[in-house]
Order: sequence, then C-alpha cells, then structure tokens
Amino acid sequence: MEGIKAKPSWLHGRALRAILMSIVLALLIALPALISKSWLNITIEILIMALAACSLNLMLGYTGMVSFGPAGLYAVGAYTTAILLTKLKMNIVPAMIAAPIMAAIIGWAVGWVCVRRTKVYFALLTLAFSQIIWTIIFEWYAVTGGDDGIVSIPTPEFFFSIANSYYFCLALVGCCIFALWRIVNSPFGRTLQAIRENPDRVEFIGVNLKRYQLAAFVLSSIFLGIAGSLYCVFSGSAFPDYAHWTKSTDMLVMCLLGGIYHFSGPLAGSAVYTILAKTLSKHTMQWNLILGVAIVLLVLLMRNGVVGFVSEKVFRKK
Amino acid sequence: MLLETKGLRKSFGGLRAVFGIDLQVDENEIVSIIGPNGAGKSTLFNLITGHIPADRGAVYFKGKDVTRLPPFKISRLGIGRSFQKLNIFPRLSTFQNVQVASFSAKGLNRSLFSRAENILTEEVEHILESVGLADRAGTLGGLLAHGDQKRLEIGIALALNPELLLLDEPTQGMSPGETSQTTELIHLLVKKRRIGLAFVEHDMKVVFSISDKIYVMHQGMMIFSGKPSEVRSNERVQSIYLGKEKDSASRG
Repeated sequence: MEGIKAKPSWLHGRALRAILMSIVLALLIALPALISKSWLNITIEILIMALAACSLNLMLGYTGMVSFGPAGLYAVGAYTTAILLTKLKMNIVPAMIAAPIMAAIIGWAVGWVCVRRTKVYFALLTLAFSQIIWTIIFEWYAVTGGDDGIVSIPTPEFFFSIANSYYFCLALVGCCIFALWRIVNSPFGRTLQAIRENPDRVEFIGVNLKRYQLAAFVLSSIFLGIAGSLYCVFSGSAFPDYAHWTKSTDMLVMCLLGGIYHFSGPLAGSAVYTILAKTLSKHTMQWNLILGVAIVLLVLLMRNGVVGFVSEKVFRKK
Repeated sequence: MLLETKGLRKSFGGLRAVFGIDLQVDENEIVSIIGPNGAGKSTLFNLITGHIPADRGAVYFKGKDVTRLPPFKISRLGIGRSFQKLNIFPRLSTFQNVQVASFSAKGLNRSLFSRAENILTEEVEHILESVGLADRAGTLGGLLAHGDQKRLEIGIALALNPELLLLDEPTQGMSPGETSQTTELIHLLVKKRRIGLAFVEHDMKVVFSISDKIYVMHQGMMIFSGKPSEVRSNERVQSIYLGKEKDSASRG
C-alpha cells in the first residue's frame, strides 16, 4: 500500500536533505566568524541575488513564463526605498515596507499587459517594460538623480557593521525564501505548475489562466522589490544599472545555472554565478569572456542545472 | 435536458467544420458521436466547451445559455472533458494531475501557504482507484503508458465533479484488453454518478456496447441519430460510415 500515497520524489531523501539543510544553516550563521569581510560582502550579494533569482523562478520555473524584465521590478524596490530615505527622510522600516508595495503596484500594471501575450511575445513585453523603467530612472533627474544615481543613502547605524548587515539580510532573505517555498508547495503553487506544464489544459479544469499568470507576476514582483530594497540598504546607493536588462539576464542565468525545476536551483545559481564573477574579475580584465565560457560549459554538462545534476547523482530515486 | 446545442455552426476559412448541429444529452445517458475523420466531431466538442467560438447557434447547459462563456467558466459549471491528443500535465505526478483539478473544483487553488501534499488526498486516491491508476500515483504523468495517460485524462475530468463528461476518443490507441476495461469503466462511472456522457469514438464495438443514443456526423452535419439498433439498421449510415469502418477494421 506504499504506492497509494503520492510522495514527491524528494521525500525519498528527506533525512539526507534535513541534515544538509541544518549544516548549511549552521554554516550561514557562523559565517561572519569564518570568512573575511570582503567575502562576507560577497555573501550578502549572493543572498540578495538568490532572493531575486528565486522570485524570478516563481514565474520562470514554476509557471513557465520567461521574463526578461525582473530587473525593472528589482529597481523599483531599490529606488522606492532610496527615494523615501533621502528625499522624504523617512524611517528605514516604512521605507523598506513601501518597496514591495510599490513593486506590486507596478508589477500588477506591467503584468496585466504582459500576460495578454504568451511565449516570446510575453518575454519581449517584459523586456520592453523593464527598459521603460530603466529610461524613467535614467531621465528623471529631479527624483532619481539620473545616471548619477542616489548615493550616500542615510541608513541606520546598525548597518555600519558588516556582520549586522549580513544577519539582517540572512533573516529577511530567509523569511522571503521560506514564504516562496510555501507558495510553490501550496495548491496555488501546484496550479502554477499545471500552467507551466499545459497552459491550454488548465482552462478546462476551471482555472482562469490569465488571472493566475498575473498573480504569479505580482508575487514575483513583490519579492523582487524586497530584494531591490535590501540591496539599496546594504549598498547605501541606487543606480540605473539595477534596472538594466543585463541585470535581468544575470538573474535568468542564475536560474538556469542552478536549475529552474528545483526550488533551490536559483539559490545555488546565485552562489555559483556571483563567486565566479567576483573571483574571475579579480584576476583578469577579460573575466566576462571566461565567465561566458564557464556558463556555456556548465549549462551543457548539467542540463538541469547544478542542483538538478547533484540531485540526480546524490538523491537518485529508488 | 443536461446539454442541448441548437444549430451550432463553425467554418474555418471556406471549410464548414460544423454545420447546424443539434445535440442533446440527458443525465444518466451515454451518447456517442461517430463519423469519419474530419466529420467535425472534435470541433463540436471544442464549440461546446468554449475552446473555439461558434459562428452561429447556441449551447445550453442545464437550460442556461453558455455559448459565449470562456472555457474556465464552462468547466466550472460542471462540464469536464478529455482530449483526442493526450493533454495532461507531464511533469506532475499522476496524483498531482488529478489533485490540481480537485483544487480547482473546490476553489482551493487560491490557497497560498497551505501544504498541497496533505490536501484532498483521500478524494484524489478515490478517483485514481476508480480509473485504475492507484498504483501509479507517484509516477510522473508524462512517464505513464499511453493507455494509462488516457485514463488519467478521465481522472482529471472526474476530479471536477462534472455533471456532463465529454470524452474525445477515450480508447484511441489502446490494446483490445485496455479498450474493454476502459469501456466498462466509463459505463460504470456514468451509472454510478448519474452524469451525462458524450463521447467520440471510432471503435464500433465500444460505441454499440454502451451507447444509449448514437449521433452520426458526416462533413459537419448530423445525418442521423437514434438508438444503436436504429443506427445499425439505417442504410444511409451503413453506406457512408459503418461499411467503411468495417472494411478498415478488417484491414486492421
């Protein structure tokens, strides 16, 4: 009677996974004592980009919507917090809470238009909208500071300590990723996966396709907004680059590198990509070239991403 | 009357796919639609479920005009369907395939943070048992054998608790053993749930064994309808359809 209950495949290695998770968590908590400040900085970036990539993957890997514009919403989050802190001299808490709200509003407006098209047209629309956001940020000097960006953002003293910043990021990113994990494993998340698998079929099980795609878009925007806001607080600045399409492709590459069909794929992807980029750029001017080759090799050799590769080797089913 | 279509019409370019179809399905009734390839049978189903818009005519479900409704609304009213081409969720498990339809039927798929794996498990297991897939629950839908995938489609449709079921060639591509198994299954489902069933089928053995009423389509038109015995004895039907079918069946 074992077979009757449908157990997701990962359950077979549940104990193994629990142990792995605890080790990773313990390591993350002990990290400030273990590594140098510059590496801790890199780890913070990994965490924030992991959240961004994970948010994108809610659309990409779970709903099957290829978005080329996540950086636009990420920048909305960053600039919302930056503007509220500098121009309106707001407290950090409302300034950070406003970021996902703003991202949700803009994400809803953008998403409402984008979900009207599918596949490559959807992708192009998301790209176009993120370019619009970039242009607004770039041109609207009075509010966004244009290409000078917004610098020396007044953040509380708490963030002057790199360890404090790190723990704050770890806690917030951890909560968000846990929330995302609950979402993808909820009935809602299952419905998104059904949309990914067969968007035409879901309408015949009574699912309003466009509405669910829009919901995925808005949820993704909310978490992207949080990631952007966090990066703004951590770096004390906001630049038009945050909205640039290359930032979007960074996030896409992280998802693909880690494996879009695994929840932890974007997390691993963010770590691999960020560490590769940082170490390579230290040693050579042509780091982008080497990074490109490395990514091509990784994608070719590990078809389902790093996490997919590892789980096939380690958690081989049955 | 559970389902009634009146003068349904659909043309694709110059081709009349469906031309003035009146179809009636009652509850606890098995209706089959037969006809040569290209007769417009699948198009008829697509018109009923809102998949493609009708040029003219109307569809009534339980007396309500549903002609212009989008598919998801028609589905929610209680019309479940399967497709001629396999149409499941390949990378979800068999269990999840049915479960996601159950979520939708119960309005649970808006639930954002609850754990899907623990919800409606009994009901889903029950449906899987009734379509004979209980032991494949954990297998990915896309990895099931063809016949099992066809039955999974029926399972997905059943999860919606439909009052009307439309099955497009439910036994297509099945072995004789699987075919008779599935035929029996369909028959049992209708009698147990007292739902209406309309199905498109090429296997005449299946059609004549369980149908209460048979509609014969040809070039987009309904040329005859009646009880199996009436259809069998009708010469016109025999000449354009049954005869050919017998030939091709004997050719294998």
